[in-house]
Amino acid sequence: MAQKTQSAERELTMSRAMVEAIATEMRESEEVFVMGEDIADYGGIFDSTQGLLDEFGHERIMDVPIAETGFIGAGVGAAQSGMRPIVELMFADFFGVCMDQIYNNMAKNTYMSGGAFSVPMVLMTAVGGTYNDAAQHSQTLYGTFAHLPGMKVVVPSTAYDAKGLMHNAIRDDDPVVFMFHKRLMGIGWMPAPDGPKTGVPEDPYTIPFGEASVQREGSDVTVVTLGLHVHRALDAAETLADDGIDAEVIDLRTLKPLDTDTVLESVRKTGRLVVVDEDYRSYGVTGEIVATVAEDALADLEAVERLALPDVPIPYSRPLEDEVIPGVEDIADAVRMVQG
Amino acid sequence: MSDERVAVAVDDIWPEDTDEDEGVVVNWFVREGASVEEGDTLCEIQVEKVSVDVLAPASGELVEVVRGEDSEFGRGDTLAWIRSE
Amino acid sequence: MYDDMVTARYYEERLQEEYLEGKQPAFDISAGPIPGELHLAAGHEASGAGVCRHLRDVDTVTAPHRPHHVAIAKGVDLKRMTAEIFGRQTGLGKGKGGHMHLFDPDVNFACSGIIAQGCPPAVGAALASKKRNQDSVAVAFLGEGAIDQGGFFESLNLASVQELPVVFVVEDNDWAISMPKSRVTDVEDGSRRADGFDLPGVRVDHDDAVAVYEAAGEAIGRARDGNGPTLIEVQVHRRMGHFMGDAQAYRPDEDKERATERDSIERIEADLREQGVEDHEIESIREKAHDRVNEAIEWAKDQPEPDPEEAYEDVFTNSPSGVEEIEPMLEATGGDE
Repeated sequence: MAQKTQSAERELTMSRAMVEAIATEMRESEEVFVMGEDIADYGGIFDSTQGLLDEFGHERIMDVPIAETGFIGAGVGAAQSGMRPIVELMFADFFGVCMDQIYNNMAKNTYMSGGAFSVPMVLMTAVGGTYNDAAQHSQTLYGTFAHLPGMKVVVPSTAYDAKGLMHNAIRDDDPVVFMFHKRLMGIGWMPAPDGPKTGVPEDPYTIPFGEASVQREGSDVTVVTLGLHVHRALDAAETLADDGIDAEVIDLRTLKPLDTDTVLESVRKTGRLVVVDEDYRSYGVTGEIVATVAEDALADLEAVERLALPDVPIPYSRPLEDEVIPGVEDIADAVRMVQG
Repeated sequence: MSDERVAVAVDDIWPEDTDEDEGVVVNWFVREGASVEEGDTLCEIQVEKVSVDVLAPASGELVEVVRGEDSEFGRGDTLAWIRSE
Repeated sequence: MYDDMVTARYYEERLQEEYLEGKQPAFDISAGPIPGELHLAAGHEASGAGVCRHLRDVDTVTAPHRPHHVAIAKGVDLKRMTAEIFGRQTGLGKGKGGHMHLFDPDVNFACSGIIAQGCPPAVGAALASKKRNQDSVAVAFLGEGAIDQGGFFESLNLASVQELPVVFVVEDNDWAISMPKSRVTDVEDGSRRADGFDLPGVRVDHDDAVAVYEAAGEAIGRARDGNGPTLIEVQVHRRMGHFMGDAQAYRPDEDKERATERDSIERIEADLREQGVEDHEIESIREKAHDRVNEAIEWAKDQPEPDPEEAYEDVFTNSPSGVEEIEPMLEATGGDE
């Protein structure tokens, strides 16, 4: 359980919190630099590098050609040479053109070298739907990255967490995949829900990987989720509270490592589990959490529901996308189901 | 101690080369009652897809937010008031 | 060609109006009748029109995320394409694909949202044509930002070594979103990429539909005759942002002005007048194009939205269990009814 300290005077969007962490680390160390498409003059398509060019210039905020195999692989090489690159893959959906570098190089070199090599890089990437960008630009793909050994996988849901997790990601000597949900960034043209914008201390701090955060305490049902759906689950919890159902909402924050203790502790208390994810249902986060609980707390478990994308590519049209991405009502319904 | 109220205005920072006379408040970074330093980022506005940060014109207390998040405003409008110290 | 170009230009002007509906003064990408990203191709018309003029329905075209001008020139059903962009049930993809994912099997057109992704499938269509001894060709359209992708190089090499009937058309608008060509490559003339794979590379230096038509005619003729692939790069202009919502703060004013001062549509109108085409004839083509576009948009907006349940359909062509469901014999399985 992380302490939630709030700076009383200042709130930041998630994108600004990430940028603040990156800028601080770049001032601290010449070894930290950023590479990606449209990260310099544009400031990142989703504002993940907004304003960094002004302070650090094109040398350290590097726009690169549209050649992900090339520049992500170059990130691996630079990291192995002792630098700390932050490399942006504009959309997680684009992983297909560069996955070889990501999971056969970045993720495995430390292990294959028996620990002789380290790959201290951050792969930062945008995930998520809800704005009708269709099948090739809307996926979360949490499970895809978390499934493959050798990468730490981080999914922040608030500005406070994003800053602390980003500091930790840059300082960590291992490859970290930092998956941010576009809808949480606070971009002008994609309004965020209430919630991701939080107080953020000006001083640097780290949030350890593998520590989930209990976003709302409750005694009846455990809701485990991450990313955008933390906020949807909290909204659902408010609705449920009016019906007298007290839901606990757990934000995983990192998938690798995974904080199973917090989840198990909660399930032992409530006996009921709902897992919510924006990734595909099969072979993904929801199944993993349910399996973990079944292994270690079967006796405490009275009812389970999982909500995720059905096994279909993400459709474009509004009514279709709304159908497949779990909404606040869907979460509330799932909780009522397990509540019985 | 003078209790002078300073307006947080947008006319001077309106993006050039736009014909748009309306903008929208995207994000507030400080709440009413917070103390701010001159030059602090108070909020972010968007005019015709261009985002602009609005900085505090004076140090003091943000006593009133006139235009909250998602509200629309024109060039001459005041977004908020600061009581300067 | 002129017809295709004015249709495309007007079509996108109308789409832009519809798209911005409900997105002003606050630009919220998920609001309004057309949500999501919209990449407009104003300034690219000469390339689509000049190339596709040589193509028949059986010829394959793959286009990238900025597809409308190519789709129109290829003869994609304008009404159903528009319905798709509005996310309607009767759209080309039943509302599942959207503007970056338009598929029309009747004219062998497809497009996709990942950079250079259309190159290998175009090579594959050319491979099929060659294997079946047909004389159909394939054309892959892509942007100049895409020619740094590995998939593009692999496609050039494969097409060259197999002597496949495919033409790669690079639309060089100088900008990969916010990255000018000069910052991502030292090779100013993209058609030189062909040299490394031993195929002809041609650059058309200005977006003149007639010049494109001539270069494409030669390349497509070569492909049809079994003489292998060609790479063409056409200088076009991006008159707008990368996508609607791109404020283009990174782009120098003079560059934006340059993009709009030289217009391929005005150029082709001047050509037509020189050839003795009367003003009223030009006007009549223009009016017909406008009517066709307006009709398509009105039709599309009248179409029903898909039923939410349709989200679960079309994942597979066959049923999940395969081509045929055979009842297992009871004695073999030991089951009972």
